[in-house]
Amino acid sequence: MSAAENPIKDAAMRRRVRNGALGLGCLALAFYFGFIVLLVHHSHH
Amino acid sequence: MANAHSSDIAHHDDHSHDQPAKGIKRWLFATNHKDIGTMYLVFSLIMFFIGGAMAMVIRAELFQPGLQLVDPVFFNQMTTTHALVMIFGAVMPAFVGLANWMIPMQIGAPDMALPRMNNFSFWILPFAFTLLLSTLLVPGGAVAGGWTLYPPLSLQSGDSFPMLIFAIHMMGISSIMGAINVIVTIMNMRAPGMNLLKMPLFAWSWLITAYLLIAVMPVLAGAVTMLLTDHFFKTSFFNAAGGGDPVMFEHIFWFFGHPEVYIMILPAFGIISEVLPTFSRKPLFGATSMIYAIASIAFLSFIVWGHHMFADGMPLAAQLFYMMATMLIAVPTGVKVFNWTATMWRGSLSFEPPMLFAIAFLFLFSIGGFSGLMLAIVPADFQYNQTYFVVAHFHYVLVPGAIFGIMAGVYYWLPKWTGHMYNMTLAKAHFWLSAIFVNVLFFPQHFLGLAGMPRRIPDYAVQFTDWNMVSSIGGFAFGLSQILFVIVIVQCARGGQKATSQVWEGTHPTGLEWTLPSPAPYHSFTTAPEIP
Repeated sequence: MSAAENPIKDAAMRRRVRNGALGLGCLALAFYFGFIVLLVHHSHH
Repeated sequence: MANAHSSDIAHHDDHSHDQPAKGIKRWLFATNHKDIGTMYLVFSLIMFFIGGAMAMVIRAELFQPGLQLVDPVFFNQMTTTHALVMIFGAVMPAFVGLANWMIPMQIGAPDMALPRMNNFSFWILPFAFTLLLSTLLVPGGAVAGGWTLYPPLSLQSGDSFPMLIFAIHMMGISSIMGAINVIVTIMNMRAPGMNLLKMPLFAWSWLITAYLLIAVMPVLAGAVTMLLTDHFFKTSFFNAAGGGDPVMFEHIFWFFGHPEVYIMILPAFGIISEVLPTFSRKPLFGATSMIYAIASIAFLSFIVWGHHMFADGMPLAAQLFYMMATMLIAVPTGVKVFNWTATMWRGSLSFEPPMLFAIAFLFLFSIGGFSGLMLAIVPADFQYNQTYFVVAHFHYVLVPGAIFGIMAGVYYWLPKWTGHMYNMTLAKAHFWLSAIFVNVLFFPQHFLGLAGMPRRIPDYAVQFTDWNMVSSIGGFAFGLSQILFVIVIVQCARGGQKATSQVWEGTHPTGLEWTLPSPAPYHSFTTAPEIP
């Protein structure tokens, strides 16, 4: 395996890894913006 | 497993041409989990010494009453920057480094699932910390309002404020990417047959820690973004004059801050759960209950943040809830301490450096836990709040807790990384000096706090002089002792007695790292091993 090569050979697993990473990334962004929106809402009431 | 192991070694011999890149490119464009792990660990060690130097400034100023070395504003900049460097630059990257090195090897994966993102998560950090440390050089100096960044105090900072906010965002992005990598690696790349309950405790502790990171780092990022808009864009999230609520910041900060404490200790729990069975020559007592205990602690960490804010004033029901919920954490923690003790019970113990650090962890982390229980009691907290008792408490959790955990891990796996045994005498000297002086440094701070000495001050009343002198002497000696740690590591990397693949006589092969030769080959498990 060269340094530039993906360690995952199986296409289905690569898809699972990509989807998992995207899902967790979206979750992190949701927490980030969620708390800001929560406080914007809080500051209007 | 043995067959898989030997075929794996043969496989590596076939690929002996596949060597790391030469020179700076190996590190700049690193995608190999071992190289990235090494970079994280070296970075963390550098930050440990930079943060330690700041602690020395603090202890030198506090050696006797009166102002002698630094002015009060610079003193406050030191306390703030020391905390940020140690938390985000030393402890967290050290655990990420250990995760990078060990998780793929423990679960039988060829590398982390997302190697390029792994490279990016590391290389953000030097920029983030250059920015953070350069705040000391801007007009007005670094942020001096404490690592908690409470408004309105933090909003009075000068040019350093946006630099710090940007640095925190970068650290957060790095941590989140690292956490995503850990989760997808563990969930997708375990060797066939390694179900979750067969997974080593270190990998388990990191899986749970990674979820904590994803849940709370964005909350910190959101809170500091709102501080930034309050400072520069005239919003009033936390500005009472504009209808905002500064206490709301404290709620949000500690919603991040309390799980952050567990982010810094859960991986250490994992390491201790690996080390104690090896040097007790017994399997870990109650391994499954250890996993449930870590998960319970992680869950409870989300519902106890109010105990940092008792003195702000809150309804009695809220005080009771936070007090009880905090005390509840002692139950799963007690399960862990009981299981570690039961693991050693009637074991054939030997006291190599990793075991010494693990046993010290067990005793000294428990002291930090007990003082935490004292602080959870609302009326007592009114007395202890903002005193050196709090400083003693969290340093017991973080130094002989998290940092001794890291040192136990480094001494445990170093022969696997370098292929050499290290100088046991020097490593034991490092342990004894660290264990003695960490107590000389922090134990007197309990007395100072109970006697009423406030934290975050450069000067104090004369009755606090003696214990402050003792504490400072302990601090200088503890700091100097860490030079031995560097000497042991450098010597071990350069050569020494050859390590076997098992390294330690009592190793229980729960993790697959012990099936690999020492040093572990540059590319391990290119063919997945089969677990029976």
